[in-house]
Amino acid sequence: MALEYGSDEWIQAYNDLVKERSAGGPPYIMGTPEWVAQYEKMIQEDAEYKEAAKTWEGSVVIHILPKPEIGLDKDIYMYMDLWHGDCNYVRIVPPEVGEAGDYVITGEYERWKAVMAKELDTVKGMMQGKLKLKGDLPSIVRSVKAAARLVDLSASTNPIFPDDLSPDKIEELRKFLHEASEKFGI
Amino acid sequence: MANISLAPSAEEVPMASMLAEMLRANLEGKPEKAKVFEKLKAKVYLFAQDAETGMTMEFDRGKLTVHGGQEGKPDISISTDSATLLELANIKIKMGMPWYFDQTGREVIRKLIKGELKIKGMFTHLGALTKVTKVMSVN
Repeated sequence: MALEYGSDEWIQAYNDLVKERSAGGPPYIMGTPEWVAQYEKMIQEDAEYKEAAKTWEGSVVIHILPKPEIGLDKDIYMYMDLWHGDCNYVRIVPPEVGEAGDYVITGEYERWKAVMAKELDTVKGMMQGKLKLKGDLPSIVRSVKAAARLVDLSASTNPIFPDDLSPDKIEELRKFLHEASEKFGI
Repeated sequence: MANISLAPSAEEVPMASMLAEMLRANLEGKPEKAKVFEKLKAKVYLFAQDAETGMTMEFDRGKLTVHGGQEGKPDISISTDSATLLELANIKIKMGMPWYFDQTGREVIRKLIKGELKIKGMFTHLGALTKVTKVMSVN
């Protein structure tokens, strides 16, 4: 049975997991808790984001659709708790928590990979329907510079993309994500 | 609730439904924008060059029909990249007029001068363009 999301036990266990898996240092695999934690740190330390997001209110969720052939058997929800330039946390969260975010941007793995490789502009992706936004678009437009900075920072993490992994490593990733799903409900 | 409808041709153009939703959100609860919307009669074509997708907004005094692609002969045609199209929606309105003297406004003017933003019908339909800018502005 999964731990209750947001409980002290959940947070402690999640943080322990991140610490343990971050030990080797970056680059990390895109979509894993340690990669998300690296991204969180970059946002928290970024003066440009802080300035651009001074009036931003609300959570932003990056929703990566499943792609079983590269180990991503389930949806991944990367939840960013953002408020007036501060980033309280970025975590992988259970689907029901992710879906309840203020702004949820959904796309297939390839689209997000292209965004993080700076091959796809997020706005262009939304105009083409490659990425779908759920949430108040005018608010995003008002903070378009902050949103662009978040995307730039995600690209700066230089992640390892799951589809570049060897078959053995893909199975390892699948096993890890399955265990994390059982323990954390993510 | 604003009278905004999607023509069948818009159903397959994500940009069209996205911007129609933005306009709806803009108009709701903002009587000053709704007033401008009630007076606006113009056909406006927006083309996102990088996304290779376009849409036509047919404003007809309080009613808007959104079409996918170019529909008929537009009064105003705006062609630029996706991000700049959204930047246009970020122009501030001051004293009832679009404000081009802050960073966003200056950037729009710069792109216009450099040809990165093309607006056909800008001078012949200046009044309509001003109204469209007011209605589309998220500010």
